[in-house]
Amino acid sequence: MESRDRKKRIKRRLYHALLWIISLVFFSPILWMLICSFKTKDEILTIPPKWIFTPTLQNYIGLFHRINFTRELINSTFMSLSAVLIAVLVSFLAAYSFSRFKPKGTDLIMFILLSMRMVPAAAVVVPIYLLYAATGWKGTYSGMILFYAMFSIPFSVWILKGFIDGVSPRFDETAIVNGGSRMHIIFKVVLPQVRPGLIAAFIFNIIFVWNEFLFNYIIGGKRTITVPVGLAQGFTVGGGIQWEFVATLTAFYSLPLIIFIFFFQKYLLVGMTFGTVRGEV
Amino acid sequence: MDASSAMGPGDAGFLTRFREKFLFLENPKYLQHLLLVPVLIFFIVWNVIPLLWLVGLSFYKYVLVTGEPLKFIGLTNFKEIFGSFEIWHALSNTFFFVIIGTLSQTVLGIILGFLFWDSKDLPGRRFALTLIFTPMILAPLATGSFFKLIYDPVFGIVNYFLKSIAGVTIDFLGSTAWALPSVLIVDTWMWTPFMMMMTLAALGSVPKAELEAAEVENLSWYRRLVHVVLPHGKFILMLGILLRTIDAFKSMDIIFTMTGGGPGNATELIGITLYRQAFNAFTMGKASALAIIALLIAISFTSIYLYILQKKEESM
Repeated sequence: MESRDRKKRIKRRLYHALLWIISLVFFSPILWMLICSFKTKDEILTIPPKWIFTPTLQNYIGLFHRINFTRELINSTFMSLSAVLIAVLVSFLAAYSFSRFKPKGTDLIMFILLSMRMVPAAAVVVPIYLLYAATGWKGTYSGMILFYAMFSIPFSVWILKGFIDGVSPRFDETAIVNGGSRMHIIFKVVLPQVRPGLIAAFIFNIIFVWNEFLFNYIIGGKRTITVPVGLAQGFTVGGGIQWEFVATLTAFYSLPLIIFIFFFQKYLLVGMTFGTVRGEV
Repeated sequence: MDASSAMGPGDAGFLTRFREKFLFLENPKYLQHLLLVPVLIFFIVWNVIPLLWLVGLSFYKYVLVTGEPLKFIGLTNFKEIFGSFEIWHALSNTFFFVIIGTLSQTVLGIILGFLFWDSKDLPGRRFALTLIFTPMILAPLATGSFFKLIYDPVFGIVNYFLKSIAGVTIDFLGSTAWALPSVLIVDTWMWTPFMMMMTLAALGSVPKAELEAAEVENLSWYRRLVHVVLPHGKFILMLGILLRTIDAFKSMDIIFTMTGGGPGNATELIGITLYRQAFNAFTMGKASALAIIALLIAISFTSIYLYILQKKEESM
């Protein structure tokens, strides 16, 4: 009996080891990049690869000495936060209306909203570019933030409508009977109950805006440049690709998102399926 | 309850009047539309107007930089697109990319999902899952540029191993034969975790009682899959596959950095073609026509998605 138990335990250990190996295999390219970010330029390009080396922080220091990097970073942070916050707020109001009052055309608008997000970015950027060039919004902060907000609205509405549908209208009715105003119901009764939906919408859209490249490249300007665009433009300065720059920037820029998904792992599924699939992961 | 009743009658005057003036908004008849106003403004300014513009432009010859006046040419743009070898080539590349990519991600993702299904007691599970999920949240542009180094024929680590094991060097991104498969491998690496996540969700939707019954009856894994898991989880899996299809169809950033569509047009997907038409050749009319075709494809994908979603909700 005892040996059977032992066997079972060892099997379990092996199974756990396998899962960890798989996780590390998936992470290995990123790990390689992380290692490279602590190497000097010559060490990165040494073949066979140098497995043992003295780590240097020089690349990270150099990153902040680049002209524009601080600006790019501030832009990325400021624009993604404000765009997503605007989007989540207006989407929440719309989702409440769609969920509770079901105005005429709800299904159609929900459908078109979703379709717009399924179109290849290059197809969306053509008319937006023309619009922005004609109105002078090209390269302005408000133009970029509102555009990103627009891009975050469809999934936010979908995610939040799903969550509000899950809150029983009884709550609303009770509040009305007790003399609560609609604003009170929306912000004090419903909002706290859909917090997971708000977080999911926030996480999913911030991942998108934070990483976005094409739109900023086309309809942004010098002033509104973000880190991904800076990366695309900076990576071949002075002949040859600057690998230490690519590695360091990627490692640094990805860190906030990695921390995000560590803490908010359970919202990732809801976010990436815009609320249509929920469950434990 | 009421904020104004807590204050003295004097200073509440303005507030009360203000409130009364807008009291009609409490009426659902007005409120339902008022709540939609911000989203509708976004929708009209950034979706409807550009869309109409797009449709209009697709019937014109419009080259951005030459300053040539717009010229109405009817359906010529569409005819040119359907007659263009380049675009058919890009479309076939896209379908290859979408089908092979989605297929391998689905198969691998399902395998991984099943492996991780029983892992609730894995030490450091959250950390391990974060490691797995990281590829899909990195900026595609950054991933793409970094894989350029990994794939590099001289300095890349893949070629280092290849050379020490098999004694050959392959210029992955520079050869016509290898470029598309190499990009596909990166795409699969990025998105297999997504299908794994969907598989876990699908497995999670199977009632515990049925899983236990299958355990008691000692069903083979194949019969468990077909008779227990699939009836409950198939719609979630289908939604996952469809989302991957749509996303792969949209792929752009990653290819943009890794190959730029090249060498030649070996990795040219429809998104890249569209980009080149609009911002390298500046033929906005033709790009608009192509964008409309892409839009129609996207709308049909969305319809299928919603159809399956409806089925899923009916079955629950």
